[in-house]
Amino acid sequence: MDFSFLQDDLTYLLWGTFPEGPPGGALLTLLLSAGSGLASALLGLAFGVLLVMLRGPALAALTTALGFLRAIPVLMLIFWTYFLLPILFGVDVPGVLSVMAALALVGGAYLGHGVAAGIRGVGAGQWQAGLALGFTRWGALRHLVLPQALRMMLPSFINQWVTLIKDSSLAYIVGVPELSFLATQVNARVMVHPAEIFLFIGAIYFVFCGGLDLLVYLLNRRPRRA
Amino acid sequence: MDSSLISTFLADGFLAPKYLGWLLDGWLMTLWASLLVVLASTLLGMAFAAARESGRAPLAHAAGVYVALFRNTPLLVQLFFWYFGVPALLPEGVLAWLNGTHALAVGSTELLRWPSFEFLSAIVGLVAYSTAYVGEDIRSGLRGVPASQRIAATALGFTPLQALRYVVLPQALRIAMPPLLGQYMNILKNTSLGMAIGLMELSYRARQAEAETWKTFQVYGVATLLYIVAIAALEVLAHGLQRRNARRSR
Amino acid sequence: MKKLTLLTLVFGLVGLVPLAHADRLADIKKAGVLRVAAFDANPPFGFVDAKSKKIVGLDVDYADALAKKLGVKLEIVPTNPANRIPLLSAGKVDLVFANFTITEERAKVVNFSIPYFASGTQFIAKKGTLTSPEQLSGLRIGVDKGTTNEIQLREQFPKATLVAYDDTPFAFTALRNGNVQAISQDGPKLIGLLANVPDRDKYEIPPFAISQDYIGVGAPKGETALTELVNTTLRELEADGRAQKIYDAWFGPTTKTPLKRIFKIGDKT
Repeated sequence: MDFSFLQDDLTYLLWGTFPEGPPGGALLTLLLSAGSGLASALLGLAFGVLLVMLRGPALAALTTALGFLRAIPVLMLIFWTYFLLPILFGVDVPGVLSVMAALALVGGAYLGHGVAAGIRGVGAGQWQAGLALGFTRWGALRHLVLPQALRMMLPSFINQWVTLIKDSSLAYIVGVPELSFLATQVNARVMVHPAEIFLFIGAIYFVFCGGLDLLVYLLNRRPRRA
Repeated sequence: MDSSLISTFLADGFLAPKYLGWLLDGWLMTLWASLLVVLASTLLGMAFAAARESGRAPLAHAAGVYVALFRNTPLLVQLFFWYFGVPALLPEGVLAWLNGTHALAVGSTELLRWPSFEFLSAIVGLVAYSTAYVGEDIRSGLRGVPASQRIAATALGFTPLQALRYVVLPQALRIAMPPLLGQYMNILKNTSLGMAIGLMELSYRARQAEAETWKTFQVYGVATLLYIVAIAALEVLAHGLQRRNARRSR
Repeated sequence: MKKLTLLTLVFGLVGLVPLAHADRLADIKKAGVLRVAAFDANPPFGFVDAKSKKIVGLDVDYADALAKKLGVKLEIVPTNPANRIPLLSAGKVDLVFANFTITEERAKVVNFSIPYFASGTQFIAKKGTLTSPEQLSGLRIGVDKGTTNEIQLREQFPKATLVAYDDTPFAFTALRNGNVQAISQDGPKLIGLLANVPDRDKYEIPPFAISQDYIGVGAPKGETALTELVNTTLRELEADGRAQKIYDAWFGPTTKTPLKRIFKIGDKT
């Protein structure tokens, strides 16, 4: 095991050429996953609410759309948003944003079903109480059901975040300079220590994801104590 | 926007049979690899769940560390490690053997051929990763079976192993089935990362066909469609299983 | 099938919309930035400099000369071989300077400049394992996805087993690990690769090539003004000796990768 490449490349792997250049490496991985994490939470919330509130063909259309998003490998989806949509619609979205959009869509599609289940899980009693108090259906959702559902769902939101951090590594395929991409660059230069390089960045991902994992564990434990 | 590209698309029409053949080959490889990974990770996952629930602290701890390590690092990095990294650590002889051709043959008919190192490391990497998920789902299933079931089985004269095999495990698997099917779909989609280490599955073939035809939309359209078909088939299977289970438990 | 009809619908719509076709050259001047796709792991054409962490190399120097002539800033977008055409088609970059082999097939979807470099498909193998092209048929050969090398090998040596990777250094790692017995790329690129390998004495580049190729600058299809400007600039660079200087900086006798210059810009159009 020879980790001497770290002498030259540690900061490059951690934050790229920042602050002279744009953020890269582990810093960009964090930014990417934070951005798409936030967007996927919002999307998931919207999808979940719509899954509960919509009826008929609109519901069928949404379910089908979410089904598509969950059926396509993330790698393919990144290709679509990065290369194909710009060609189709002539919009030029910066690379980082298009990867963020792809990850947010997938994350949102997964969270949507969870949110819907959470809302349904709060129970008919709460809905009826809300309606009896004079709330509209949307009012009851907004003020009574959603706050309870979201509290229960916090762990699954964080879990989704762990998935997003890991999936952001797929951005390497379109050359977005996040951690995995920079690792392949460093590997290409060092040439003879692939095991060490991939172990090292694996460790960085582990710190990020493991930290969030620990948070979920603590969150899950707290209600039991109370 | 490039209008000439669109007109090229309209003029050129669809993919030549040769390239459709490539994509279909890739699809079959995707399905084959997925099947192997599903089977292996389910078997290993059971052993794994048993280890975590064994009550033996060192064993349960080791299994816990495994889950944390494999679930908290990206699959892509794991695959890079297995394919590019591990060989650099292996002794020369082992590596030569792994890369060599070995065949199990009866007379002149070849029964089994030693797979390529790309295939081998992709499967190993995917199984190692997936087991951490599948194992945890089976474990939740195990926990969902009431303790009274095991006690009743033991009272009926089953040994602990028999109780696990005939009474607890079947029920646990039924409980775990919905999340497990979700994992199996993830496995199918995750095989796409094999393209980074030379596994000739659907995404690899799509890139290859694209590089030769430049029919980006047609190639990725067909590939995406093939993934959707495979996942939809799994979904139908899942529905069927769930309906059967619902009927059984009634 | 639903997806297919949806796609056809989308394509149909796009086909119908009259496209406001802007002049890319004017866009570049307006934006003040020239976006160029270059390799980031293929010395000496394009690679991340160990110290500055910037992408440098022969291709980057050419791109830089062009940006200077235009009076705009140069922005390098890292690419691997397979992403070059998608990057152009998707409008993510204005030009590709990445050891881009000119072929008829590619010319259907991109504009090529006149050639500024010549090379041919060659190989790296462990010393003594590869001496003649005939041996290729029995070998496992590592290639890069989306390269002419892969296509040439498949056509000329259908019996060889090809394994395609995302970039040449990955293929080389596979060679070191013994997963493939040879890797294939353009000769000068292989020389650049080998020069940076610590245990380079174990490997060799057998002295034969299976093709003769010309390298050009890639521009979006139909962007005639931009392509013409690239051509004029390349000719100027040759005329005033800057092309020779760029070449010497990366392949000259005092570099890590000395290689005789056999091709001058304008030798072939």
